[in-house]
Formats: sequence, structure tokens, C-alpha cells
Amino acid sequence: MTLQIDRNIYSDNCISKVVYWLSNQYAISRYLEGKKELLVIEGACDEESFRKSFFEKLNDYKLREIIDAETKDIRTILYAKAFGDFDDITEEEITE
Amino acid sequence: MKRYALLPFNFTRISGKEVLINELGDMLITPIGSVQKIVDHSLDNEELYKSLVANFFISEELLPSLLDVYASRLRLKKSFLDDRTALHIFVLTLRCNQNCVYCQASSREENSIHCSMTPEMMETSVKLMFRSPSPSLTMEFQGGEPSLEPKIIKYGIELAEEINQQECRKLSYVLCSNCRSLSDELLQICKQYHVLISTSLDGPSCIHNKNRGREDSYEKTMAGIQKAREVLGHEYVSALMTTSELALDYPKEIVDEYVNDGFTDIFLRALNPYGLASDNEDWDKYNERFITFYKEALEYIIEKNKQGIFFREDYATIILRKMLTPYTTGFVDLQSPAGTVNSVLIYNYDGYVYASDESRMLAENGDFTFRLGKISDKYEDIVYGEKVRNMGKIWANEALAGCSDCPIRAYCGADPVRNHSTQGDMYGFRPSSFVCKKNKAIIEYIISLMIEREDEVMPIFRSWLR
Repeated sequence: MTLQIDRNIYSDNCISKVVYWLSNQYAISRYLEGKKELLVIEGACDEESFRKSFFEKLNDYKLREIIDAETKDIRTILYAKAFGDFDDITEEEITE
Repeated sequence: MKRYALLPFNFTRISGKEVLINELGDMLITPIGSVQKIVDHSLDNEELYKSLVANFFISEELLPSLLDVYASRLRLKKSFLDDRTALHIFVLTLRCNQNCVYCQASSREENSIHCSMTPEMMETSVKLMFRSPSPSLTMEFQGGEPSLEPKIIKYGIELAEEINQQECRKLSYVLCSNCRSLSDELLQICKQYHVLISTSLDGPSCIHNKNRGREDSYEKTMAGIQKAREVLGHEYVSALMTTSELALDYPKEIVDEYVNDGFTDIFLRALNPYGLASDNEDWDKYNERFITFYKEALEYIIEKNKQGIFFREDYATIILRKMLTPYTTGFVDLQSPAGTVNSVLIYNYDGYVYASDESRMLAENGDFTFRLGKISDKYEDIVYGEKVRNMGKIWANEALAGCSDCPIRAYCGADPVRNHSTQGDMYGFRPSSFVCKKNKAIIEYIISLMIEREDEVMPIFRSWLR
């Protein structure tokens, strides 16, 4: 079966993560054509349920990607404060 | 709602709910669709908003005023790293007086020679152990059957006590024994130095004897447990079970055996693919059946607790401690960075230091990947050597494919040794990893119980943490 994914909506990162978790069960080939990505999946029996499950996972990874992007800096500060000697980091330094 | 900033968190769906988990492992159960609303900044539920702020999922300020508290709590979760290696396993011998069908330690006949630690090796190993900066040091004696070497146990403990007069560490001792031949002399040593005995009990006699390869094994073990309890005290004897294929059909009978024998806990432990156990014909099938076994046994344990019998499952307790308390656990299999070297070192009868108990088991099959050096080598060359540095690149699940974005990462760990032994490389491939599948199944099952049967299970789970 073939899935067509709009790369304007879903990043390479998100698609790769879904493919990673499915790669133990299916052979998946990826082809980029402009802003569309085609995924050819070998081994999927129930096409409809596969498609539904795939896009559910994709949407979850997209949400996680947004959270990661928005919290990247605070996460770095958090780990630096927890495990480094950077007690004097200020809000001004972050927002610069 | 006020404008807010997101804080790092991940989410999954269990039992018709969205389960949000932050960097600390704090969990929030929310209705389906909550994450989308949080990300879209379209929250319309005041109570949920307050919970998210109070539990470090969102912040009303760009830099949360309680960030220092958050950082301190994160540091506490990883505090097992502060003191370095605390558990030091001394493999005294491969000699054994049983014939366990799943022996993971490649044990040999009781009268075998050239497979035991010499006093000189013990002396060098104990001195090396004291190079660890940890304020607490646990010497754990393993085998084979370490009780066959009482003199070397006595020598090791007495030497450690002597050195400790200068070092002033908190010393503790564990003897892992099948309890078949606990001599009066050995028990007196155990009594004098408060040695905890950790024995193996696989369940009722029909299971235990078959697993252990001797018809009198159960009888001897129970007699040994009784004798040790009389000399040392009830609380100084604990037991572990290993879930053989035979045991998979008897979850209730195994729990009943432990309850009837006066134990207050059980560790439902899956087989590890080392030694004879690695010959298991169908690991996939075993793994599936183990998860079913675990759930059935845990359900039965919950029933026991509801009847007023305090009895806990240790693996679930470790996970619950990670979920419900601010503290770390000392359990090396569920640590990130991994417990290997950071929390445990092995001093083997062959004169070498290994990264973990499983590492020395691999060595018996000719795989010396995790042999870190000789016991006579410098401490720094062992724990900061090239092998450990290479492991260090891949021993944190925060930085592993498949783990880094796993919602339940905070409750799990990294295990390069297991990855190497089961998948052929230390990095590992999560989609086909049994450890990943097992941990996910068990952790998600525990969360599902907390969601679906909160009033029933939470008082029990909390009692296990006291």
C-alpha cells in the first residue's frame, strides 16, 4: 500500500519516528516528491486500520514536536540548573 | 485563562484518558483532547489549568518562579549518580550444589576446581571496592553457590571491616544463597556482621524442584530459610523467584507459597537470556506469556491485600516509587544513566572486573565485551576506561532512539548489556526489544489500574511505598 503525506504539515522528524516503530513489522520505502512524501508499505494486511493507526501516531508525534520546540530552552536551563553550576541564569539571558 | 508557557512533558493514551508525564515523572490523568488544547492554548477547564500549573506542565511565567525547586527535584531523581558505585558483587565461585534448568551463571559441579576466588583476589577486590567514593558500600556474595566458600566470605568481610575503621563508610552485606548448605559457622559470620541472605524460591515444591534439578531442593531450601531466620531474625532472609516456563502456568500458586512461607513481598522476575536460560526455544512466546503471568499474579496480590494481608510485588513497587515519590530507586535495571558501572561493579572469580552481573554471565559464554579490566588495575583505568566511555555514549534513555520520546521514559531505564546480548549491539532497537515491550506492558498496566480502579488500588499501592 502507499501513503501520501504532506510535508508542509508533517516533518521528516515526525514521519521518521512513526516509521521507526513500524520497521520491525513492515518494509517501508520513502520517496520525496516536492512537498509530498510517498511511503510504500509492504506487509500491511488491513489497509484502513493501518492508515488510521499511522496518522494517529503521526499526529501524536506532531504534538510532541510542538511541545519539544516550545520547551527546548527551558529544558536546557532545567538540566543546567539541576546538574551544572549555573545558578545565576536570569530571565533576561534567556530572552536575549 | 492566562497566557502560559509550556514546560517539557510527554503524553500517551491509556484506558480512555490522556496521561501526561513531565521530566520528573509526575503524572496527570486528563480527558482525551487535553494535550491538543494545551498546545493550542485553548484550555477551557479551570481545574485542569490549575493542575497543569501546580504540577509543572505549564507555567504562567516564561521562567517559572519555582524552577529551582523543579531543578532540585530533577537532581534528586538522579541522585544515584552523586555517590557513584554502591553495589559491589563478588562472584566467589562457579561451584554449585544444584542443577537449575535455567542457570544463568554457568555454574559447575560442586567438586570442580579452578573456578573460585583466592584470598589474594579477595584482598585486591576489596581494596578496589574502597576506591569507589560512595559513602555506602554493599558487598554482595554470589556464585555458583557462594556458601560453598565460607572462608573467603569471612575473609572478605573481616578485611572490609578492618579497612573501614579508617574509611568510615556504611557497609552492608548480602549473601545470595540457595540455602542448601548454610553451615553453623557461616550463619555465625552472617549474624556477627548483619549479613542479609537473599535466597531463591521459585514457588511450590513441584515448581521449585523441577527448576532446580533436584527432588529435595524445596525441602532443603525451606529448611535453610527456617534455620537462617532462627539465627539471624526473620527480616534478614529475603527470597527471589525466577519465572521459568513451567512457572508461567502457576501465578496464584507461587504467590500463595510466598504468603504461606511468611514473606511479605515477591519479585516477579522474568528469565534473563544468559547461561542455560539463553537456550530457551521461543523467546517471543515466553515474553508474551510472562506479561500475562505478571498481570495475573499482580491481580492476585491486589486481592490478597484487599483481604487484609500486606504483601507487595517488588517490580511494581519500584515503578510506583518512581511515579508517586520524589525519590530515586537503587534498582539498577531501571536506571538512566544505566546501572552498569554507575551503580554496580562485579569482581569475578577469574580476577577481572565486569560492568554488571549479566556481563560476567556473558563472559562464561566467551563474550568479554563488558570485561573492564583486571582487579589489579587502577580504579580510574577501570571506571573511566575506553569501554566505559563507549558505554557512556549510549547508557542514557534520554538520548536513545525510541526511548527519548517515549512517554514513560521516566519510569524506565537503559541497559546496554541487555541490548548487546539480545540484539547484537549496545544501542539496541526498541521496536523488537523484549525489555521495552515488557516494561511498557507492565508500566501501562499499572497506570491503567490507577485510572480504572483508583479507589481500590491506590491505598494498596501507597501502602507498598511506606
